[in-house]
Amino acid sequence: MFRSRSWFGGWAGKPKNRLSLDHLKYLHNVLERNQTVSENNRGLLVESLRCIAEILIWGDQNDSTVFDFFLEKNMLSYFLHIMRQKSGGSSFVCVQLLQTLNILFENIRNETSLYYLLSNNHVNSIIVHKFDFSDEDVMGYYILFLKTLSLKLNTHTIHFFYNEHTNDFPLYTEAIKFFNHPESMVRIAVRTISLNVYKVENRSMLQFIRDKTAAPYFSNLVWFIGKHILELDTCVRNDTDHQSQNRLSNLVAEHLDHLHYLNDILCLDIKDLNAVLTEHLLHKLFIPLYIFSLTPAPPLLSMALVTKNLAAVLNKVVEIDIQEINNPRVSGVVALFLLSLVFLVITHGPLVHSLAWVILNADHNVFKDGAAEVLNAYIEKREVVALGFGQPQESLEEALEISATNSNSSSSQSNEPSSAQAVSCEEATSDDSQHQVNITDEEKEKLKNSLSTTSESNRPFLDMVLSSMDCNENDYLALLALCLIYALANNKGVSSEWLEQILNKRSTSSALYKTMLIEKLLQIVNLSSQPTCRIRLITLELTIKLFCQMIQLNSAECCLLDTHHNAIFSARNQSMTVLRNFYKSEDIFLDLFEDEYNEFIKSSLNVEFLCMDSTILLPPTGTPLTGIGFTRRLPCGEVEKARRAIRVFFHLRQLCQSVTYDEETSLPLTNPTKCVQIDNVLDLNNSDLIACTVILKDGTKFRRFLVIDVLQLILVEPDSKRLGWGIAKLVGFLQDVEVLGDKDDSRCLHITVHRGGATTNRNPILSAKFVFDDHIRCMAAKQRLTKGRTKARQKKMYQIAQLLEIPGQVTDGALPTYANSLRTGRTPRPLFTTINRVPGFAAALRRDSMPSGSVSRSQMTASRGTEKTRPTTASRESSKSRSNTPKSRDGSPRMPRPRSEEIPLEDFRHSRQSSPASRNSSNAPSRSHTPSRLANEPLSLPKETTPSADGASTESKTLDQNSKETSFIAHKMKGNVETV
Amino acid sequence: MSVGKSCLLLQFTDKRFQPVHDLTIGVEFGARMITIDGKQIKLQIWDTAGQEAFRSITRSYYRGAAGALLVYDITRRETFNHLTTWLEDARQHSNSNMVIMLIGNKSDLDSRREVKKEEGEAFAREHGLVFMETSARTAANVEEAFINTAKEIYEKIQEGVFDINNEANGIKIGQQHSPTNPSLPGQSQGGQTGGGCC
Repeated sequence: MFRSRSWFGGWAGKPKNRLSLDHLKYLHNVLERNQTVSENNRGLLVESLRCIAEILIWGDQNDSTVFDFFLEKNMLSYFLHIMRQKSGGSSFVCVQLLQTLNILFENIRNETSLYYLLSNNHVNSIIVHKFDFSDEDVMGYYILFLKTLSLKLNTHTIHFFYNEHTNDFPLYTEAIKFFNHPESMVRIAVRTISLNVYKVENRSMLQFIRDKTAAPYFSNLVWFIGKHILELDTCVRNDTDHQSQNRLSNLVAEHLDHLHYLNDILCLDIKDLNAVLTEHLLHKLFIPLYIFSLTPAPPLLSMALVTKNLAAVLNKVVEIDIQEINNPRVSGVVALFLLSLVFLVITHGPLVHSLAWVILNADHNVFKDGAAEVLNAYIEKREVVALGFGQPQESLEEALEISATNSNSSSSQSNEPSSAQAVSCEEATSDDSQHQVNITDEEKEKLKNSLSTTSESNRPFLDMVLSSMDCNENDYLALLALCLIYALANNKGVSSEWLEQILNKRSTSSALYKTMLIEKLLQIVNLSSQPTCRIRLITLELTIKLFCQMIQLNSAECCLLDTHHNAIFSARNQSMTVLRNFYKSEDIFLDLFEDEYNEFIKSSLNVEFLCMDSTILLPPTGTPLTGIGFTRRLPCGEVEKARRAIRVFFHLRQLCQSVTYDEETSLPLTNPTKCVQIDNVLDLNNSDLIACTVILKDGTKFRRFLVIDVLQLILVEPDSKRLGWGIAKLVGFLQDVEVLGDKDDSRCLHITVHRGGATTNRNPILSAKFVFDDHIRCMAAKQRLTKGRTKARQKKMYQIAQLLEIPGQVTDGALPTYANSLRTGRTPRPLFTTINRVPGFAAALRRDSMPSGSVSRSQMTASRGTEKTRPTTASRESSKSRSNTPKSRDGSPRMPRPRSEEIPLEDFRHSRQSSPASRNSSNAPSRSHTPSRLANEPLSLPKETTPSADGASTESKTLDQNSKETSFIAHKMKGNVETV
Repeated sequence: MSVGKSCLLLQFTDKRFQPVHDLTIGVEFGARMITIDGKQIKLQIWDTAGQEAFRSITRSYYRGAAGALLVYDITRRETFNHLTTWLEDARQHSNSNMVIMLIGNKSDLDSRREVKKEEGEAFAREHGLVFMETSARTAANVEEAFINTAKEIYEKIQEGVFDINNEANGIKIGQQHSPTNPSLPGQSQGGQTGGGCC
């Protein structure tokens, strides 16, 4: 308030209360006296305008007389008067004016106040006022003003902005003039405004939009998008070295913005508007620029032929138009990519269907007639837009002017000059529109023929897409062709039946298109499995996804042929051969293998996200220096080659399993459900326990017992309820344990338990000093840890050998070998015995371990199991597991257990799992009761079936709370309390 | 009811509007010159309100900005609960270098507080954001919130993370000297509505 007083200096009569009617009256007086803006009163005016905004908003919320006064004095007219003056038009004053207006319209809550403000035509006069738009602040406030108003639009307020009698809608027409403003925030605001306008359900307004503005706006918009595409294409052509990735990714993102905008318009489902937009998009951009660029050479001959025929029909001499040569083109890669994006983003039926029709069914004649036939089926009142990518003759502003002056003539006529005159093929258009009937009949006939005939047909675009899938050199084009087919097949606007019908036609080589497509896919799969191939992992992944979709896996109509079956199995075998060469070639092979498996399980292919990545537009590269993710480039160096081989193997193994509806039983190598979890209660009678004191870095101490299992290191504390039992307080995998002696203290070991795999959490699970009772116990612990680590790793390496069927490792029959390995891989003395196992033991234990959870990995496995389980298998599996469960429960005592003193932790846990509430069907039946299965797949390790779909996944989720990833620190707190 | 982002914006861009007890005013666009490291920098701040209905608009806003303020209302837990969705959206659509600052607004209404300051801090830490509690009403921390965001952007420019010749990042070099000009859309975090203010 002090400040405002200082502004008003010596003025008399200024009210004390800044927020009051009196103050507004005073400000009115100020405006009244300062009608002419000058250097001297500018500051005063600006401050007055600012205060008016405050008072009005305050009045809107507190005192209605304020608004009455404002309207009564017609104060908005002062605003107009000020901005129309030369010196008042200076940005200093204008910015304040616009800010005041913005504040007014944004903050007003009272509807009647709003109506009053809009009721005289002042707001529209302000909208059409030519501000100095070169000033970016003025531009910002102005476009925000329009946006704010557009947010106030509804069926009631529309009449304040759209004048039916004068056919005038300045809010919209002024806004769209900025559709390609250099400032992106302004363009975004324009899009928001246009969408807000289209959203209002008012017939005559929409009629106006369609008749007077749609053709000019859309033709300019499409031209603008097209120009942007040409820029993108240039960028791709000149950037074979990945030098301007940043720019390219911006161009792609910008183009996606355009597509999403178009889709947002189309999704509003305004029939007339969509018809115009669809026509423009197809005939001015998608067909002449995208589709045209698919085929390599300009189809000059066919074009000329058509024109000649047409001339003959018309008895008219038509010069052969070679405009096609002048038609700009983009490279095939870009064309495939852009078409993929269209099908991924846009869902408007008529548009995507027509485009799909052209790609799949049309020949070069389409450049003559466009997608006219298909569109006729959808759109009434079509206006023919000539085919060709070219700049609209008038700029948007000119066009809007023309349509405004022609507003008295009928709508379609006034529209004609702006829309139908394409630069490139004006002549053809006039012919077209004169003799449209003839052509249409002819076309209909042709269409009928092409649909009914099974004989060979000419589909250059489809042929091109299919031939792009050849990966003999590399998979540059193939990946994009796959994206296109995937996007096409998964677009809601493309009928799947129709697609099926088209694909079941014969190509020139008399093979069905679908067969050809599947063969191409299998070729890629086969090539991927070769040792020196140039196919990226992402391509393989997408190929597999598409293959499963094409053969309709998991449905009644699954059409997997024996040849397909053989092809994928031989590819898998090939990938195994490749991987065998890497087995043990790297020291860290096991870590790589498990890490890749985690990545493999985690990654799920999303084609929409893939196509947001502009790097797929550039030639495939191997170097990680480009910043391209591993799956989207070729491997670099031996380690990455090993990784790639591992990943290919996983993909193909999964594919084989899904076509045979087999469950994964051998991966991951460690079954997390079989591992001891934190807080599990363990029977430790007769097992080796080494007492120790664990000292953390911060000095905290715990008294614990160290237990070394086959795979895990476990720290337990005694269970207060049962003698000889212990509660697991920390678990870690032996394979990740690092042991160091202490040179000063022979009773000490420094033990670090790392987290397995490449997790984001780089802190080890535990890094602490262990103090034992004496140096002998210390040495024993060290030895067992070191040996345990080696053996755990050996065991897993053996498992991998089994998976890869490495000769020499696999002796007669997998099962006995596995059993042997277990015996050798086991700790020499039992941890847990089954001797004192009593009935109900497993169930009790189960209850105890309820709150504990499985690691997140198990969740992944479970969800993957669900995802993989097919309808048919699901029921089969679940019935199997149901019938198995009771069997295995009472079967557990009579499980073949000849070496009872050797039964390790594994078996003990195993029995836990065979309890009724168990998440898995026991492996016992599969081991002993299903020999046929073993005969079929002698190489899979019959450890345990992966969780079956029913119930298992949900259960594992609820369990997943106290995973091993729970930090040791968290337990420290609890541990402290309990141990003290 | 909104979280008060347009009030924050007005508070920062136009000092002349002093917060008064019975008046809440906001605006969805503003510009202001600040000085960082001896350089004049013009900040343009856009509120993203009203975009929620259209996917294309959401996308574009995120991409056009060098930085964003993600605002929630400490007196309404649901606005805090929505943060994850907003953040995911922002991360998915934006330039990966975009500076995001988390703002707990309305810190003056401590008696009605539903979200503890520690929770905001924890969320920010978890997602690598800078966190601050502000009040558009008392102007507490408003300057700091915007200026710190601008500073971080400035640092990224210095490190060469942002390509200043590429206007798609929301940064452009001014005509005179070299003031940069990052646009910051104040992130809509409206809970139910993005419109209205405070």
